[in-house]
Amino acid sequence: MSDIQQYLLDYDRNKTEASATAQKSATRLTDGELRLLKLIEELGEYFNSEDGAVRVKAMSYLAEVLAFVPQKVLSLQQRNLLCDFILSRTEDGDGVGSCAKGLIALEERGKWDHERVQTIMETLLANTAPLRQYKQQSERYPALRLVDILMASYRDALKALHEATPDFLPRFIAYFDGEKDPRNLMMVFSILKVPMTEWSIGADAQDLFDAVFNYFPITFRPPPDDPYGITAQDLKDRLRECIASAPEFAPYAFPALLDKLDSTSMNTKRDVLQAITASVTQYGPRTISLYSITLWDSLKFEILNVQDEDLAEEALNGLAAIATTLSKGTSGPLHAYLRPIIKECNEHFEDAPTKQSQAAARILHGIAGVSSEVINIVFAAVLPNLLTLYQTADTMAKRRGLLEVFVQLIRANVEVYGDWRTVGTAGEQSANNALIQFRDQALQVLLSGLETAPINGVSFRLVCLDGLLQLSSARGLLTDEDVGKIIQLLHTIVIHEESFGKDEIKEAAINGLVDIAHQKPQVVVDKAFPAFMAQLPDTDADESKGYLTVLEAFAKLANEEQVFDTVILRLKNKFTSAVTQNASSAYIVALLSAMLYALTKGATRLEQSPESTTYYQDIVVPLFKRTSSTDSSHPKTFDDETTLDLVGRICNIIVRSQSAEHQHAIAQEVYTLLSGTSTSDTPPFKASAPPESDKTMIVSTHILASLRKEARLPCEIELLVSQLAEYAQQPQLSAPIRSASLRQLSLVINKFYSASALKTCLNPLINAPFEIFNAEKLDPPRIRIIFAALKGILLRSSPVLATLYPHLLSFLSHPKYGTTVAHGFSTLLQPDDLLTKQNHCQISGLHRQKSFALLVPNITQAFREATPNNKSNYLIALSGVLKWMPFDIVMEEVDHLVLPLLQSLDLKGEDLVKEAAISTLISTLEEKPQVIEEHAGSIISRLLANSIRNKEAGAPPRVRAAALKCLMLVPEKLKLESVLPYRRQVCKNLTAALDDPKREVRYAAVKCRSRWLEVDEVGDDDE
Amino acid sequence: MDPNKDNANPTILNPSDLPSRRRESTVKRRNDGASGLFDDLIPRYNYLNDPFEQSELSSDSEDGEFEHIDEQEVYDLISSISDPEHPLSLGSLAVVNLPDIRIQPPTSPFSSISTVVVEITPTITHCSLATVIGLGVRVRLEQALPPRFRVDVRIKKGTHSTDEAVNKQLGDKERVAAALENATLMGVLRKMLSTCE
Repeated sequence: MSDIQQYLLDYDRNKTEASATAQKSATRLTDGELRLLKLIEELGEYFNSEDGAVRVKAMSYLAEVLAFVPQKVLSLQQRNLLCDFILSRTEDGDGVGSCAKGLIALEERGKWDHERVQTIMETLLANTAPLRQYKQQSERYPALRLVDILMASYRDALKALHEATPDFLPRFIAYFDGEKDPRNLMMVFSILKVPMTEWSIGADAQDLFDAVFNYFPITFRPPPDDPYGITAQDLKDRLRECIASAPEFAPYAFPALLDKLDSTSMNTKRDVLQAITASVTQYGPRTISLYSITLWDSLKFEILNVQDEDLAEEALNGLAAIATTLSKGTSGPLHAYLRPIIKECNEHFEDAPTKQSQAAARILHGIAGVSSEVINIVFAAVLPNLLTLYQTADTMAKRRGLLEVFVQLIRANVEVYGDWRTVGTAGEQSANNALIQFRDQALQVLLSGLETAPINGVSFRLVCLDGLLQLSSARGLLTDEDVGKIIQLLHTIVIHEESFGKDEIKEAAINGLVDIAHQKPQVVVDKAFPAFMAQLPDTDADESKGYLTVLEAFAKLANEEQVFDTVILRLKNKFTSAVTQNASSAYIVALLSAMLYALTKGATRLEQSPESTTYYQDIVVPLFKRTSSTDSSHPKTFDDETTLDLVGRICNIIVRSQSAEHQHAIAQEVYTLLSGTSTSDTPPFKASAPPESDKTMIVSTHILASLRKEARLPCEIELLVSQLAEYAQQPQLSAPIRSASLRQLSLVINKFYSASALKTCLNPLINAPFEIFNAEKLDPPRIRIIFAALKGILLRSSPVLATLYPHLLSFLSHPKYGTTVAHGFSTLLQPDDLLTKQNHCQISGLHRQKSFALLVPNITQAFREATPNNKSNYLIALSGVLKWMPFDIVMEEVDHLVLPLLQSLDLKGEDLVKEAAISTLISTLEEKPQVIEEHAGSIISRLLANSIRNKEAGAPPRVRAAALKCLMLVPEKLKLESVLPYRRQVCKNLTAALDDPKREVRYAAVKCRSRWLEVDEVGDDDE
Repeated sequence: MDPNKDNANPTILNPSDLPSRRRESTVKRRNDGASGLFDDLIPRYNYLNDPFEQSELSSDSEDGEFEHIDEQEVYDLISSISDPEHPLSLGSLAVVNLPDIRIQPPTSPFSSISTVVVEITPTITHCSLATVIGLGVRVRLEQALPPRFRVDVRIKKGTHSTDEAVNKQLGDKERVAAALENATLMGVLRKMLSTCE
């Protein structure tokens, strides 16, 4: 059997085998076993067959063989012959796809000359037009691909053909008529784009335009399992490029597009607006000058009467694009375009503040930001009118509306001309800024507006303030003196103005100062700093608290990098003089707080310069000495634990970014704090120290936290751990000191043990005499130590947890302290502000998963087996673990957790447990509601019970509000049929919650109840 | 201009000018004039949340103070309703205003029934949607207030050309009930109430 016979046999049965046969023929052809002539001869019989299907298959065979033949096997003569032959076959009504494939294969094997390309094109048009006569997409597609290849590689040949043959283009356009398949359309659009952009299309412009615009708007929706991956957006993008490709289209495109803008479909309108913007950008200033006003007349409605925010945005883009394009041409058309816009906007401003005056401001802002030329025209025409209207306005509301417009314009101005730190889009030409002419008037209006408006005109003053900030940032606009005036007004507001409402103005004024400090740091330092400092007394003998607001504002200035150093320095000096003059504790605490706040804001700055020890010398060293000394340099307030905590935190921020070497030295002073005594005389090493010296432990904790893990501890680590364990058990310690010692334990274990030593780090505590896991010796101080130690270990995900956790879990059934242990579980994963990456702690990314896997399944298991008395302990422990667990970890196990969680809602007096359980239930409802579906009745009744105030054992307000929030999610997330039966019961019972004594609960109840009332209504719609 | 709207270009109030409760509570909470910037420097859970000492925690915010339902609360309930013809709230359009809300205490010591009177101000005097707005306010309050409140919604005197007629409609229980049976009307109301917080 010859290859062709084999191929024909396989063609309908098995495409792969058929291809294999074609490949075989190709190989034989290459090896010279089969001559081309012979092959064609063999085919002859089939090409002349009566049966069209056979002819198609024969052509397909030839095309496949050609595609398999390697390069250079066929001579030029052979290729030409084949080409002519295949072309002649296109006369046959069938098999155009295979012919095209064959030609494509030939083209790949050798370039064609111009003449041949033109012949092929003409023959295709003559024999196969219109393409839509072929029903199969797979037939048309290769033909389109062939044309696309011709367009891509032989552009000149086709262009020459077009220029030589007057009727070529119409026939070419008609060739693609009626194409519907998205894959083919993508091809058609890209083919047609070539003549659109590169050929002179003259009289055919309309036909060419219609050929693509017929498809507008694209409403194609890909099938669900679309194998080709063509989206509607792909088609839209290509179509839009076509529409925008030739300015000759303008007379057809704009009327057609504007006509479609009246459509009721949002999608169509969006496509129209995007097409307009693209066209306006491409067609060039000359064409656009003819249509600019028509476009304005239509586009403005989308902004003045906003239907949809994003349509308004697109329309604004369109208007701005027109301005951009016209800016590239002569100034006449640009003026002609802007004139009606300015006129109409000016009219809208007359009755500000309305929806339309706001829209007009948006329009001007959008257009003015385009170029320096446009903004200067707009300013010259709008600002005088705006200022006149402002002067004659009779109400505050109107003045505010006008100023809002003004501020938008200044903002556009900053975009174009830049601010003090960066050049704007127009480049460095701030001297040409039209705003300069209005500078003094603007400044005066805004300053006096902010200064003289009554204190309750919050929104008006906010607008003035915003305007002043914009003015002050405009590049090269105001003198330093003028900026100084603004600063002065702002700090006067911050310092002297009486408080009103939510203090929005004061807050905005402070933030404004920070913004100005970003632009003009030196002016702020010169003007505002002395004013602030003058308000901060050296001592507060008169006991007024006025300094607090000033301090807050001043500390906020540290947000700005350029004034950070100065802020810290001034605060430090204030602190020193306050201490020497015996200021009150409250004032010293406030100063320390301000310093801490400022340092927190500048922490990244400190990290950048680890070598600099200035802050250490200036701030940390004096603080250490004051803390540890016992003479007069020790301020009284340094005996207070909260103050020492602040001191510790300040030192922590500075020390933690110090270089490793410097930290070695600091590490030796962790407990002595530069007091000159030896470490063994300080707590936790000396048990019988005076109570004041115990307090230094708080500062030590923060220093310990700031050290890198390479730093050398002042003593052996085993000794330190056991000393800390002993020390923390002392009954006389105050809560903060005890907490500090326990956290030291966590820190030491977390940071300073090597991974291998970590496995045995607790042995000194587990072994006799300490025996920490001995159930008989268990008491609250020991429980605390267990949890503190575990906390250090679990963050490192050490394998030793697998042997430590079981001890802990076994304590949950401890007859006396089971409940205490259970409560401790919430401390394990509680975020801690000292055990952090910034403090050089070792935190494994998977530590939560690890603890979850080791704890939760065991707790739920033990819960099922526990005696009724102990059950609650397991629930408490469970909620403690879940409380801090991200829900994606919980999700896997949540099926097993729903029952214990629901039972936690029945506990009496364990409000934190209930709150945690409810929050896990909320996450479950949000992420995985299906596991709750079967418990609908039980969750609803329990949540109801917890949301209604009950005299005897009622839940506190927070739990009630949480339960209501959760209950609100139930109808949202569960199936209608699961919740519908409970609607009446819920709505009826919730009327009681509407009368809850706490506002927060009532608020949640209202939301919850209205959600449940809708349950029924949704049901109605479905019927 | 959209001819279907009675008032296509209404005046809008800025959100910072609307009455809100936060204003009083901040002033009450801090008498030193500070804004609380430094309050969070030391995380609260460090020293306050010692889980081993449960007793003090549970009682932290037990129902000591009874926060009564007041005018501001009623305002908060209804000011976020959307206007049927603009995507704006009744509060920002000044259709509902705090001074126009009154809570009348029970008339006799034996009765527990209080009355909430809300007077609404249409944006223009011939607003055809005044009844719908009134109905929306009424439905919202009946859903959100406990049953011991009677709701009385009316158009503010002199702000509407047919205020008497509208008030009669809003006050008539039967007609209100009948209106709520109307599916189209309910659809409009649901849309208005969907923005309620």
